Amino acid sequence: MNKCKFYDCNVHSFPERTSSLSEIADFAKHLGYSGIVITVHSNDKRADIDLDYEDDELNIYRGIEIVTDSPSKLHGLVGKYRSKVDLISVHGGSEKINRAAVENPNIDYLAHPITPKDSGLNHVLAKAASTNNVAIDFNLDLIIKGRGGKRVHSLLHFKNNLKLARKFNVPSILTSNSFSIYDMRAPLEMIALSKLFGMTRDEAMNALSNTPLRILEQKNKSNFICEGVEIIN
Amino acid sequence: MKILPPTLREKKRYLVFELVSEKNVQREDLIREIFSCANLLIGDVGSSECNLRLLKYENSKGIIRCNYLMTDTVRAVLATVNSIAGAPVLIYVMGISGTVAKATEKYLENENIFKPNNH
Repeated sequence: MNKCKFYDCNVHSFPERTSSLSEIADFAKHLGYSGIVITVHSNDKRADIDLDYEDDELNIYRGIEIVTDSPSKLHGLVGKYRSKVDLISVHGGSEKINRAAVENPNIDYLAHPITPKDSGLNHVLAKAASTNNVAIDFNLDLIIKGRGGKRVHSLLHFKNNLKLARKFNVPSILTSNSFSIYDMRAPLEMIALSKLFGMTRDEAMNALSNTPLRILEQKNKSNFICEGVEIIN
Repeated sequence: MKILPPTLREKKRYLVFELVSEKNVQREDLIREIFSCANLLIGDVGSSECNLRLLKYENSKGIIRCNYLMTDTVRAVLATVNSIAGAPVLIYVMGISGTVAKATEKYLENENIFKPNNH
């Protein structure tokens, strides 16, 4: 149990939100995380601010969450940020953007894919995500903060997405999508929450530790081409 | 009434938790919020199966007793607690034990508490 290293891939920090980076880092350590990814929305004016915080016990990665309405701009922005940050996610939530995101192998994961109408994924998108190795995010803030009908729908959509992810072997990750320390949850609580929509313990552990770790290690390398291809000198 | 022999008693687990909040939270408010969250998430039937009870609560730490098969559900319920009396809060489960004595010994003593606003 203690051997697992847990990562939360979607924590929004101070330049945008209420909690400062040192507070978030201390709290993540307290909860038992080995690393967090601080994501900044790309449409935020201060998106280029550097993370000037180092910590020995906690790995802090820099991520960007691309927010845009047009798929063509999305691909441009991915090119712009790829070399600058450790992790690129896409602010999902519309059919067009979800589709564009899963078709671009340079994107690490699609954040909160649920659209106002449906779960945001279907068999076509799931297949594309699997081919391009784009992970799908289960943002648990919908269960933590949502109440009533909204939460009922979120659980239903998560169940659908999980079914598709299993069928097409799409990497999945669990994130808190937090905007302050009060939105974060400890790894075991995240696992318990994911059980509500049918994730098994092993799947949830992978979604919190192995999958994020693989994403961060793999795309960190500058000479990464695509899955299964490496440069031999 | 004669008490049940140990073999017939319901098995229990004790969850030791820490409440992170900027304000001091009253015991009554905490109980009300936990039961309201349990009701919203798992309903009356689920709550009765969990057999929740708050045993101790002082200094932002406490022990909750529940049925031994429902620990994951109870964790999920505790994770959905957002705010108490208007202030944002968070419940972090530090550990689970089979007896109150062990739970107290292992987790309630010598464990530091996270204080927000120290940064």
